[in-house]
Amino acid sequence: MTGAPVHDGEQVRPMGATAPRVPLLAMKQITKRFNAVEALVGVDFEVYAHEVVALVGDNGAGKSTLAQIVSGVLTPDSGIIELAGEPATIPNPSAAHAAGIATVFQDLALCDNLDVTANLFLGREATAGGSFLRDGEMEQTTKRILRDLNSPIPSVKTQLHALSGGQRQSVAIARTLIGNPRIVVLDEPTAALSVAQTAEVLTLIERLRELGLGVILISHNMVDVRAVSDRIEVLRHGRNNGSFDATTASYESILAAITGATSYIKGDRAY
Amino acid sequence: MTAVAGLKEIFTRNLRTSGIYIAFVAIIGLFTILTDGMLLSPGNLTNIVLQYSYILILAIGMVIVIIAGHIDLSVGSVVALTGAVSAVVVIKNGAPWWLGVLVALAVGLAVGAWQGFWVAYVGIPAFIVTLAGMLLFRGMTLQVLENISLSPFPGEYQKIAGGFLNGILGGNGFDVFTLVIFALALVGYGVSQFRSRQARIKYQQTVEAFPLFVLKLVLISAVVMAFGYQLSRSRGLPIVLIILGVLIMAYTIVTTKTVFGRHVYAIGGNLHAAQLSGVKVRKINFWIFVNMGFLAAVAGVVYSSRSNGAQPGAGNMFELDAIAACFIGGASTTGGVGRVTGAMVGGLIMGVMSNGMQLMGIDQSVQQMVKGLVLLLAVAFDIYNKRRAGAAR
Repeated sequence: MTGAPVHDGEQVRPMGATAPRVPLLAMKQITKRFNAVEALVGVDFEVYAHEVVALVGDNGAGKSTLAQIVSGVLTPDSGIIELAGEPATIPNPSAAHAAGIATVFQDLALCDNLDVTANLFLGREATAGGSFLRDGEMEQTTKRILRDLNSPIPSVKTQLHALSGGQRQSVAIARTLIGNPRIVVLDEPTAALSVAQTAEVLTLIERLRELGLGVILISHNMVDVRAVSDRIEVLRHGRNNGSFDATTASYESILAAITGATSYIKGDRAY
Repeated sequence: MTAVAGLKEIFTRNLRTSGIYIAFVAIIGLFTILTDGMLLSPGNLTNIVLQYSYILILAIGMVIVIIAGHIDLSVGSVVALTGAVSAVVVIKNGAPWWLGVLVALAVGLAVGAWQGFWVAYVGIPAFIVTLAGMLLFRGMTLQVLENISLSPFPGEYQKIAGGFLNGILGGNGFDVFTLVIFALALVGYGVSQFRSRQARIKYQQTVEAFPLFVLKLVLISAVVMAFGYQLSRSRGLPIVLIILGVLIMAYTIVTTKTVFGRHVYAIGGNLHAAQLSGVKVRKINFWIFVNMGFLAAVAGVVYSSRSNGAQPGAGNMFELDAIAACFIGGASTTGGVGRVTGAMVGGLIMGVMSNGMQLMGIDQSVQQMVKGLVLLLAVAFDIYNKRRAGAAR
């Protein structure tokens, strides 16, 4: 396993058992097959509070499959999932949400025809009497969350089709904060964004960490990954292929793990 | 925000939704001139209400179907089937009129549940399911009626679409009761608008300037009271207008203020996103079609009442009128966009045009061509707007 968490010295929110530090999410020996294709083979993965973990790897390495298992879109063929130390199953997206796992999918999963507030609360609207919307209340919450994130949205009444790519991404990230999640999964959040917009999104990710969340960041972009993450987990051909401290690991060593130039032996640090 | 800037804001921001109202006013103006004011005469306005009420009722359900990204081609056949069932119950078996209505509504709900099941739980596109339904329910109508027309309905049943509430409070040359009902409706509307404005202020949401707000209310009140006055000078308040008014209010609330409505828009806007967000897509789709079946049954009752009987060919092409009303009223062909009030105005645009051209004695063939072109232009306008919005991003 990856051993002690790299990002020490920060206050952890109490999560049931206190010492030693319990990961928010621990996945052990996760295996997933699509017919004959082995998407994941015996993968271990952990996320702690106040931590951004980057999940990197080449195309087809299994990053998205792992993220989809975390967010309940896929279920693993075998392996153990623990949430805050307790064994758990995540059979569907709403179970993931109930467990405090929020996901920003690569296509953002936003409704262009709805405004910012409606998108934030989609599927979990604040209601009076079970079916009538409490629009004013939802708008206030939306404003508060966007303010917490220092998000660059002009108005919560704006329909999504009027927003830029970076603004849409920040809506998608703000969306995860509805209902106080503990873990946020971000799938390629900076793909297809301009430099300025990418910077905005990376700031948002740092804000999520400051808010005490565990963040799983899936990305192709090594620069972004090294800029915001605390720990970098490499997947290759559906297997763990290295775990790096983002502050000390060199670009070359990470790249070598991704491409398979160095192989990782369980129990060892690859660097 | 000053009143003028506010007005300009409203027009430019929502050209797509306000454009339809401008077009409506223009068409009314045009046909008023062309028919020497006959269009707005008391008798003719009453006629328009009676003649197009069932299309408007269908359009309420249809716009919800269309917002969710579906289509329903079967409503014409469902109108025929529910009318036929009601006729068999009331005319053939001599049951009381209300039993006929209840059975017709039950049949409508069952039809909706049937189509909803195939669309939502089996996953067959609504186009196919309702195309099948169009044939299926037309065939069932023929079976139920044994290929012959049934008529006449008893007097109470005829009143649903042809009855009026008048004379209760007297009046000289006009019906006071009609005016009182219209005034009460407007006061209710004004109070609810004011309260929602206050609520928005409380939550620090943006509201239009107060003079503009008052101006809007006054304008709406003037138009509605003028309409009510004309009705009151003819035969009074049509019962079917009350049915229609209640349905419009109820469904405006359903589409704009409830979770169900929000989810309908979400499904039409981005189905995948709605699913991932935990919207119960199948359940919503199912109820959309149950609701459409219910409203088609209401329209079926109204239509059978108006035509005072059930014919095997009743309701033919109604689906197309209802669909056209939605698209003219600003609904998007790709789903996610549309309003109940828009669909109503769209339906009225069609109605006023047909009626005006009939008054002018224009040939049926030309009427069809004009209506076809208007539909085409309305959708072209929608697509043009979308392109412009896309380019502005």
